[in-house]
Amino acid sequence: MSVATNSAELESLELELLLEGVRRQYGFDLRNHSRPLLVRRLRRHLREERLDTFSALQGRVLHDPEAMDGLLRALACPPDALFSDPAFFQAFRARVVPLLRTYPSIRVWHVGCGSGENTYALAILLMEEGLWPRCRLYASDASEGLLSDARSGVLALPGEEDARNYQEAGGRRALTDYYTRDGNWAVMHPVLREGIFFTQHNLATDASFNEFQVVVCRDTLLAYNRSLASRAHERLYESLARFGFLCLGRKETVARTPYAAAYEELENTGRVYRRTA
Amino acid sequence: MSLLGLLVVGAPRGASEELEALLASLPSSLPVPVVLVFHRGVQEALAGSLGRRCPLPIAEPDDKEELVAGRVYLAPAGYHLLVDRDSVCLSREPAEHGQRPAIDPLFESAADAYGPSAVGLLFSGHEDGWAGVAALSARGGRAAVICEGGAVEGVERVPLSEVKPWLARLSYAPRMKVQA
Repeated sequence: MSVATNSAELESLELELLLEGVRRQYGFDLRNHSRPLLVRRLRRHLREERLDTFSALQGRVLHDPEAMDGLLRALACPPDALFSDPAFFQAFRARVVPLLRTYPSIRVWHVGCGSGENTYALAILLMEEGLWPRCRLYASDASEGLLSDARSGVLALPGEEDARNYQEAGGRRALTDYYTRDGNWAVMHPVLREGIFFTQHNLATDASFNEFQVVVCRDTLLAYNRSLASRAHERLYESLARFGFLCLGRKETVARTPYAAAYEELENTGRVYRRTA
Repeated sequence: MSLLGLLVVGAPRGASEELEALLASLPSSLPVPVVLVFHRGVQEALAGSLGRRCPLPIAEPDDKEELVAGRVYLAPAGYHLLVDRDSVCLSREPAEHGQRPAIDPLFESAADAYGPSAVGLLFSGHEDGWAGVAALSARGGRAAVICEGGAVEGVERVPLSEVKPWLARLSYAPRMKVQA
C-alpha cells in the first residue's frame, strides 16, 4: 500500500472515530451529513485550532464541552445577508403572494434560519404585501447559538449591495425603514422581531410540529447526504398543507426524493413547488 | 496504478477562451465525468457559451446529482461545487480566494473521493487551485497545470495543445506511478 493511500485511510478512520465519539458523548449525529462538506469544514477547524489530526480534535472535544460548542459553530454556515437571493424574493412576491391573499390565515415555516437574515427578509416582504396581520412566521434551526443571535434581531449593518438586493427583490420602501443603526449593527424593528416565533428544531431528528401553508427551506439540505436529505423531505412533506408551497434553494430539487410526484413546480420561480397530493 | 475515474478542471476568469478550446478538444467517448469550476460572476449564464464546441453535454448540476461518464458538470454561480464518490455536492460556504465557485474545494474533494483515479487540470493565472493540485498529487492522483512557458516548481505542466494526447494516455493505458 502506498503512503498516499495509507494516510488517506488513516484520516478516514480518525474521522469515523471522531463522529462516533461526538454522537455518543453529545448526541449530535453528523454521520449522515454531506461528507465532502463536513470534511472541509472540519479541516478548516483543525487549522484554526492549530491541531494536526482528527484524533487530536477528538481528544479535545470529548473532554471539553466548550470545544464541542466551538466545533458546532465551525460546522454552521456563516451568516448570510438580507435578501441575498433577490430573484427568489421577487418570484415569491410575484407568484406565491397572490395565491396567499386568498387564505384567511397563513402559517409560514422557515427551516434552517441560521442567524435569521433571510427570516427578517421574509417578514419584511410579508409585511409589505399586507399579509403580516394574518400570518404566523415560525423560524427554526438546529443550533441554539444561532437561534439566540436570530432572536436578538441584531444583524450586521446592511450595505449598499443589500439595499440594491432589497430593491431588486421588489422592495417598496427603503431597507433602512426596518432597522435602527447601532454602530456597525442593525437592530431590526420590534414589530418584525416580535412577530417571528424562533424555535429550536433539528430537521435531521425532530418530527414535524405543525401544518404550514408555506415552508421555506433553502440551501439547508445541502449539508446532508442523500439519505438524510430524503428523510428530511419526508418531514417537509408532512408539514405542508395540501396546496401549500415548498421553497427550495436555486439548485435543489424534489426530483430525486420519494415525494417528486406530490409536487408541481411553479414555472420560472427557481424551485418553488406546490404540494398537489 | 489505477484507472482514470474523474477529471476535474479549474479555470480563472481570464482563461475562458482556452477553457472553451479545451472543452472542444475532449474526446466524445471520454470514459469519465468532467467536473469544472470557472471563476464567474453571479448573473452569467455560461453552460451554453462555454460548451458551444464541446462534444459532451454540459450542464450546471443540481445538488446531489449523480455523476455520469461523458458529461460535463459546470459549477453554478454562487455555489462551490464538490464531489463525493458518485455525485456532486453544492455548498454555500463563503468565497475562497475571493471566488465562489472556487477551484480548491473541487480539487480537494476529488482527491478525497477518488484518490489515485482523480485527474486535475488547472489553468494558471490565479492563486486559487494550487492547493487543490497539491492535494490531488498527495493522494496519488495526477494533476497538471496548463501553461506554455515558465517551469513550475514540482508541478507537472502541459501546453494546451498537448492536453488531448496527455488525457488520451491517461484514459486508455494503465499508467505507471514513478513516485511511491
